[in-house]
Amino acid sequence: MNALEIKDLSITFSGFHLDNLNLTLPCGCIMGLIGENGAGKTTTIKLILNMLYRNGGTVTLFGQDNREDIHLLKEDIGVVMDEAGIPECLTADQVGKIMRHTFRRWDREEYARLLDQFALPHKKPFKDFSRGMKMKLSIAIAMSHHARLLLLDEPTGGLDPVVRDEVVEMFHDFTRDENHAILMSSHIVSDLEKLCDYVAFLHRGKLILCEEKDALLSAYGIVHCTPEQLGELELRAILHTKVTPYGVEAIVLREHIPNTFKISPISIEELFVFMVKEAK
Amino acid sequence: MQGLLLKDLYMMVKYGRIYLFMSIVFCVVSFMNPENLFLVFYPCLLCGMLPVNLLGYDERSKWLQYCETLPYTRAQMVSAKYLIGLFAQLAILLVMGAAHAIRMGIDGIFYPGEFLSMMMSLLMLSLIASSISLPFMFKFGVEKGRLAYLIMVGVVSGGSVTMANILSTKTEAATNLVSVLPVLCLVGAGIFALSWYLSIVFYRRREL
Repeated sequence: MNALEIKDLSITFSGFHLDNLNLTLPCGCIMGLIGENGAGKTTTIKLILNMLYRNGGTVTLFGQDNREDIHLLKEDIGVVMDEAGIPECLTADQVGKIMRHTFRRWDREEYARLLDQFALPHKKPFKDFSRGMKMKLSIAIAMSHHARLLLLDEPTGGLDPVVRDEVVEMFHDFTRDENHAILMSSHIVSDLEKLCDYVAFLHRGKLILCEEKDALLSAYGIVHCTPEQLGELELRAILHTKVTPYGVEAIVLREHIPNTFKISPISIEELFVFMVKEAK
Repeated sequence: MQGLLLKDLYMMVKYGRIYLFMSIVFCVVSFMNPENLFLVFYPCLLCGMLPVNLLGYDERSKWLQYCETLPYTRAQMVSAKYLIGLFAQLAILLVMGAAHAIRMGIDGIFYPGEFLSMMMSLLMLSLIASSISLPFMFKFGVEKGRLAYLIMVGVVSGGSVTMANILSTKTEAATNLVSVLPVLCLVGAGIFALSWYLSIVFYRRREL
């Protein structure tokens, strides 16, 4: 079963157009949504939650159209937005009590455990939390009501590397249950690379790529060579070149490169930057 | 919706202390001056504005957007504000009314029928005041919706003048108020219900 299916989704507002977006996220998988600022990542997440009026297209969550009883569907969705949205005067304990009366499957013990794991103070007002602490509280809420789908908008922003690693591991554990899935946007592409099964590149409201991460990494690579050596390669093998003081660096399609060439692995970040430049 | 009410209650306790303080002051002054109904009415009117203030805090903290990710309908979000406002007004009127009634009893001028009519009238006027402003807030947001305050002040002032005219003589007051009370209650409840409905319609259409 698919946790999320987006078909021909589009929306237009001042200076922005999301153009016929198509995405499918199977259960048990994690999809990373990568894009520069203003590419449409947050808009996509808001459309999934039916927070905006779309021009067209459909969003299906666990087989159900998101325009029908979305508030019931939200019992199954844990959300972390880039801004937490918790009123400043509330403490983590008060937030827990509010959520206990909000979600049917709210798990008090799990929430308390996560607060302790993240070393979050129980009685401190939210306004006194650091950005990282605010994000950790959002994550604790999203993971304490037995959600099946997590929608995460920049969830690792503001977290220190140790906690970030912890959180990434936590998300990884979440999808060990094959009924669970995660859609996660982030600027920190290294987190997505570590975590995701699928990656989707968004650029100016257009999906320029949606592919399995492993397939991408095995299809593309980087060749470091001299300009003469580069000339020996088929043109269709070379996607992008950059001249450096030490020679030429080229992003290539592995299948068209002779075995005599040494191909280095490419990172998702390098691939994304290349594709965005191509799209421009 | 319990979660929303609980959240508003927490916020009311935190940000509504000034209302509590003013209510105590007005309660004491009202006890000393039982003739002046304004002293009972004003705290009630203030509490009617509580939902607007809470909505302002919600907007500032981006709670409205966050709430969209929780299993609530927009109708529930609006209803929570109306209910919290109604509870606050009822509670304050109960306290103020009790203080006022005790003083009237001491002075030997307590007439239950007339007193209840006055309290109901004050509640209705107060409800009308908050009812006028809230749909604007839900449609335009608190910043732009402040214009509604001006309209509300005009309507409430008009209502107060009318009330003052009705209560101009004591004997007439009992008769007039009792006779117009059913109409006032009907109008007040009608405006409150219409306001509630309009707020839901406006808020459903608003993009956050």
